[in-house]
Amino acid sequence: MPEIILRHVTKRFGKTAAVDDLNMVIEDNAFITLLGPSGCGKTTTLRMIAGLETPTEGEIWIGGEKVFSSQDNTNVPPNKRDVGFLFQNYALWPHMTVRQNIAFGLENLKWDKARIAARVEELTKMLKIQEYLERYPSELSGGQQQRVAIARTLAPGPKVLFMDEPLSNLDAKLRTEMRAELKRLHVDTDSTFVYVTHDQLEAMTLSSKVCLMEKGVLQQYAPPLTMYLEPENLFVADFMGSPTMNFIPGRVAAVEGKKVALHMLGAQLSFQAREALPSLPQEVVVGVRPEFITLNQGGGLPGKVYSTLPAGMETTVRVSVADSMVTSVVFGGIDYPVDSPVNLGFTGENMLLFDPQSGKRLAMGSL
Amino acid sequence: MQRAKASPAKRTLGALKGFFSKPANVILIVFLVALCFLTLYPLILLVGETFTVHAGREARATDQLVGAFTTYHFDKLLFTLNDGGPQGFTLSNSWIQFYEPLMNTLAVSVTASFIAILFGGTVAWLVTRTDMKYKKFVSAVFVFPYIMPSWTLALFWQTFFRNTLVGTGTANGILAAVFGVYMPEWFVYGYFPISMVLGLHYAPFAYILIGGILRNMDANLEEAATILKTPRSRILRRITLPIVRPAMLSTLLLVFASSMSAYAVPVFLGSPVRYYVLSTKMMSLMNTYPGQGYIIAAVMILFGVAILAFNQKVTGSRKSYTTVTGKSGQVSLIKLKKANRPIAVALLVLMLLVAVLPLLSFALESVTIKAGNYSLDNMTLEFWIGRDLDYLDQGDSNGILLSPKIWRALGYSLLLAVTCSLVAGTCGVLVGYGIARRRGSRLANAVNALSFFPYLMPSLAFGAIYLAMSTRIPLLHGFVLLALIGSVKYLPFASRSGVGAMLQLSGEIEEAAVIVGVPWWKRMARILFPIQKSSFLSGYLLPMVSCMRELSLFVLLVPTSNTILTTMLMQYSEKGWAQFGNAINLLIIAVVLLINLLVNKLTGASIDKGIGG
Repeated sequence: MPEIILRHVTKRFGKTAAVDDLNMVIEDNAFITLLGPSGCGKTTTLRMIAGLETPTEGEIWIGGEKVFSSQDNTNVPPNKRDVGFLFQNYALWPHMTVRQNIAFGLENLKWDKARIAARVEELTKMLKIQEYLERYPSELSGGQQQRVAIARTLAPGPKVLFMDEPLSNLDAKLRTEMRAELKRLHVDTDSTFVYVTHDQLEAMTLSSKVCLMEKGVLQQYAPPLTMYLEPENLFVADFMGSPTMNFIPGRVAAVEGKKVALHMLGAQLSFQAREALPSLPQEVVVGVRPEFITLNQGGGLPGKVYSTLPAGMETTVRVSVADSMVTSVVFGGIDYPVDSPVNLGFTGENMLLFDPQSGKRLAMGSL
Repeated sequence: MQRAKASPAKRTLGALKGFFSKPANVILIVFLVALCFLTLYPLILLVGETFTVHAGREARATDQLVGAFTTYHFDKLLFTLNDGGPQGFTLSNSWIQFYEPLMNTLAVSVTASFIAILFGGTVAWLVTRTDMKYKKFVSAVFVFPYIMPSWTLALFWQTFFRNTLVGTGTANGILAAVFGVYMPEWFVYGYFPISMVLGLHYAPFAYILIGGILRNMDANLEEAATILKTPRSRILRRITLPIVRPAMLSTLLLVFASSMSAYAVPVFLGSPVRYYVLSTKMMSLMNTYPGQGYIIAAVMILFGVAILAFNQKVTGSRKSYTTVTGKSGQVSLIKLKKANRPIAVALLVLMLLVAVLPLLSFALESVTIKAGNYSLDNMTLEFWIGRDLDYLDQGDSNGILLSPKIWRALGYSLLLAVTCSLVAGTCGVLVGYGIARRRGSRLANAVNALSFFPYLMPSLAFGAIYLAMSTRIPLLHGFVLLALIGSVKYLPFASRSGVGAMLQLSGEIEEAAVIVGVPWWKRMARILFPIQKSSFLSGYLLPMVSCMRELSLFVLLVPTSNTILTTMLMQYSEKGWAQFGNAINLLIIAVVLLINLLVNKLTGASIDKGIGG
């Protein structure tokens, strides 16, 4: 069964490295997202695994077979890698009907007619596009085109499915709907999905594991909740989650075992680490997710409401404390009057300490 | 030990294998080599010829052996500034043979470019931006002169305006014979008519280029100015014109280059009064002092290269104007109000003069027995369908429709046109694919430049260098030579539409097929070609039509002047067999229009698509 292994994969365009020394194992049946800001090399990575792009260096294995190696010039063409690829703009062939689009690849694999017809039937039923079989792509809506593209990709029954931002051309509502269907499809097709997106919410909700990249370098490769709660560095912490994490500058006053006395937000606070502490620099950055900041529930930091954004289910409140601004998300729709005084509290065990110089996470614990 | 030694070689081999496993790379390498041989090598040969003694007068004048090295041609053509006589410079050999024709060429080309821009640009603006009447008809008929052979208008001008008082003065044209109006010489022959005719011939070119930009220009750009209460005239001056300026400049340069290499027009309208331009001068030198002829060819190519380099630079910066999205199609048209009908009618009349009247005049001339007499009893259909016409003492013994010579030439012309179109069109598609896939790479840029190179070679000069090449390569003569030069010369049309069409297709369209293992040829045939069918077919059509009406490219290379229709026409006209010449001309125009119409109806491809891209 296909397990995908990348070893020291590097891709250079001229002098710039689009992907730099990437090492990664994609387990069988996983749903992996390659996440990152645009230009971080995620699409290049995907295309290299699929065989559409040739790496400058490194090795790629799919299902125990070496499909690429810069050492001995192995380079298995894409069609021999038994993969499917779903393109961002669908890449449906405009001069073929839905049926022809789906069947074309199968004809090419020399399937017999009856088998092709049955497969087209099966897929269009599954994706609810039976009534559009004789239409041309231009006569379909974006969502329908998307389904046709999926059907076409799934038709030969690939064991690995690559998707390059497949939902980015859909409107918000349809996107949510398709996300649910993709997740279902993953279970139904029993194959490995590798998915590229720049949308952290999509990565969070869909995947079994997220690979976050920046400027061609892997930042963290972990399950989504780990990425969210235990980011390795400031970049990961900042990229995951919306509204973004609060990064509050703090000064270490004293260290005693796992306890740190911190001077932050104009007050003296005590940080209790979960594990033994490394040696701390004097200046640190304290990372606090907005949902771990409470308002008016005991605790003592006095602040003033700067703005309130009630979204119905939850409310995002910007509060000015001392010289800084922090964001808090509280459950329920509460419209705090602007400039009204509030008391800030900290809850939970997922407060983070970062080194402002290297960006690395130093400790996790509670305040 | 052995392994370590073999490894780097094996790696290079592997890298090469990887490189050539991509069809785009194979195509680009093949074309790089082929185009170097077909465009750069002949160029080197040409330069060689300018330093070589040829048989005949040159050998006698230099007192050297044929094939020897000499600078005689340069001395004679460029530096014989004073023959020692009392008249000095203006009668010197260099002035008469080179500098005066050069001046004439520049004057004619500059004037023609401005006429083309002014006329074509105005019509483009009227059609795209105003509510003028009869737009559809105007835009359909306006490209006519471009489809017709370039000498059509020249021949018409001559037969219409000539009279016994000017030029060789053998016969009166329609104007003099029927209306008794005798136009002065400057109007009938020389600088003015040549510029006019070339300008009118290339006006459709300006119309297509500028009109394309105007049509696709996002109307929001103008609307934004309207919202800011800018007056119409100011919008035109400050918004519209600057946006089309690159297209205008591009047209200017391309028309300049084309006018410079025009041959038939100055032959018809210049030679009778000994008004020479570089192309006609070169042709006459080719028969007497080929070395000097080759120098002129080299000069013309140099001009072409300079113009194109300049054009590349200008249009390169055009990319910054890519506000051309074609998104909002609702252009608020300028109301011409009272002026509408007069403008429309004036344009229609002009159109009839330029596009339709020539045809009628040819028809008339082809049935007139004695030139200058347009009464019915002086007319006959003999020149078309007569037999045993020796009593007329003119040319063929049969009318052109019954003459086996004519039919043979027509067949040869058609075969040549079809061959060139197939070769050039197919190469254009392939080059387009290679360049689009490896966009931006040095290899792709080199092939792109090389495939456009023939465009800036003046046809006559290009013919001259292929003539030089054919003497060295035994297989290269007759049909093969003509087909080869035609294909190379028209490759730019095809490769431009090929590149344009391929760039419009996202790579993913092809990759979606790569993933399922569709072989390369099948991807081309089943996916890429069908999607951009009409653009590609334009790439086939343009070479075919151009080839059918080409004269200057082939005139030096045909085995006999009876070989193809255009050279036959030239021969008949030169010998004064005007009726046959006119009849053949009509035949060529009819065939060209027919091909155009047929292809257009069958496939939807059209000439203007090819040029506009």
